[in-house]
Amino acid sequence: MKTFSKYWSIFQITLINSLAYPGELVGRSLMIIPFMWIFYQLWKVTFSAAGADGGMISGLTLRDTLWYLMLAETIELGRPPIARTMSESVKDGSIAYILNKPYDFLLYQFSTAMGETIFRAMLNAVFGGLTVWWLVGAPNHPEGFLIALPAILGAWVLHFCINAMIGLSAFVVEDVSAFTWIYQKFSFIFGGMLIPLDFYPQWLQTIAKFLPFSSAIYGPSRLFVTPTAEFFISVMTLQLAWIFVLVFLLIVAYRRGLTQLTVNGG
Amino acid sequence: MKELKFLIAIWKTNLQSAMEYRGAFLTQVIGMIANNFIYFAIWIIFFNRFKDVRGWGINDMYVTFGVLASAFGLVSLLFGNAFTLSDIIAKGRLDYYLSLPRPVLLHTVASRTIASGMGDFIYGFISYGMSGYFTWDGLARFVLAMLLAATVFAAFLILTQSLAFWFGMMTNFSNLVLNAMLTFGIYPITLFDSYAKLILFTIIPAALMGAIPAEFIRAFTWTTLGQLLLGAIGFLSLAIFIFNTGLRRYESGSAIQIEV
Repeated sequence: MKTFSKYWSIFQITLINSLAYPGELVGRSLMIIPFMWIFYQLWKVTFSAAGADGGMISGLTLRDTLWYLMLAETIELGRPPIARTMSESVKDGSIAYILNKPYDFLLYQFSTAMGETIFRAMLNAVFGGLTVWWLVGAPNHPEGFLIALPAILGAWVLHFCINAMIGLSAFVVEDVSAFTWIYQKFSFIFGGMLIPLDFYPQWLQTIAKFLPFSSAIYGPSRLFVTPTAEFFISVMTLQLAWIFVLVFLLIVAYRRGLTQLTVNGG
Repeated sequence: MKELKFLIAIWKTNLQSAMEYRGAFLTQVIGMIANNFIYFAIWIIFFNRFKDVRGWGINDMYVTFGVLASAFGLVSLLFGNAFTLSDIIAKGRLDYYLSLPRPVLLHTVASRTIASGMGDFIYGFISYGMSGYFTWDGLARFVLAMLLAATVFAAFLILTQSLAFWFGMMTNFSNLVLNAMLTFGIYPITLFDSYAKLILFTIIPAALMGAIPAEFIRAFTWTTLGQLLLGAIGFLSLAIFIFNTGLRRYESGSAIQIEV
């Protein structure tokens, strides 16, 4: 319990810190507004041109699609750049000050990442939600947000694991920006961040839905617009399986990475 | 002519500096090319399913994305500090450039190279080559349109970031307008109504970086060339005017800065 309280305190400190510059926080979150507006333009034309059957494409209406994209963007824009932060701390040597403290490096990073995520995501959800509400009206299933909440938290855990692994590669290659770009683009494609996976060709849907990217974006977002018990179980089962696999890989990568770390300065 | 020699000398130094870490440089260039290919796959998936958006198809997207990527890459390579000009102004780092006998704006923005820009620049040509619109005279138009689009983009960055002379730190605002410019630039212009188009030619001139250059590349018309020239000259003049006006208000705390 004492161990847990240590990381809870780190989480709380980061959470409060993230409110230190409210203008910065709000300014950053405004970015979701033009994104949602342009998505609306694209999908409005697409739904209309496709002569969507009963106003639906692959089981989603225009309204569902927009709310789906709002949550997908909220998850993506809410997460902090962990890989870059870790890479910077390797480059400037400040990692030496973190590694010699009486806490676990990975749990420390996780606590700070979650502390930075909460308000950032909340504000994105507020601005994104208001924009989508104004454009297409209220979500068909407002209760879907509560049902999707565990999957959203799981999504951040998955994002953390993958990003931390990219960050750890800085122990060997120092600059990780190329890996973060490529990871982000894989999230876009296999996570269904710009196009819901349901609109993909069947063969690609099958592959994408099995990968961790879909558990991190498509699963929670689709659950929000289709909050059924069966879908909840299916999303959470796959997500938990990926969390176990990725946490294991992360621990192995961390232990191996430590043996190769060279601190240049500080 | 003197300024051109000076610029070439800076760019040469920047390139040598970036190439010092050859591994990191190549990783960034190749990584950015791969990144763009992967991103573009989304549009391939989209147009595979929905065919076209009001007459705008995948081939048009190849050209639009190509010219936008190359223009973005060129500005990143040659005028990398244009992306962080507001920080330089707000943190008093213009002192260094003011103390040297060269044009302040030109010297400041040209003093950094973003290595990944090379990846964007190269990718743009590949994308155009894959568009199905490739012809040799089309390639000449691609180069001209890309230069004009890069001018509009650089001018837009200088213009928005120079507002830091009046409002201080504005990193978030700069990121917001940069993202808006790139996002609106890549989407089919046929999506937008006339009011939105007016915004895309003026307040956020994304149309002059994506759709209009793409139209000019596909087929020469005096109208599109005129729009691009007018946009490039107009935005560049406005950007220089705003920067110089702001510069008169500039003050720093005489902090000790080291420019590397």
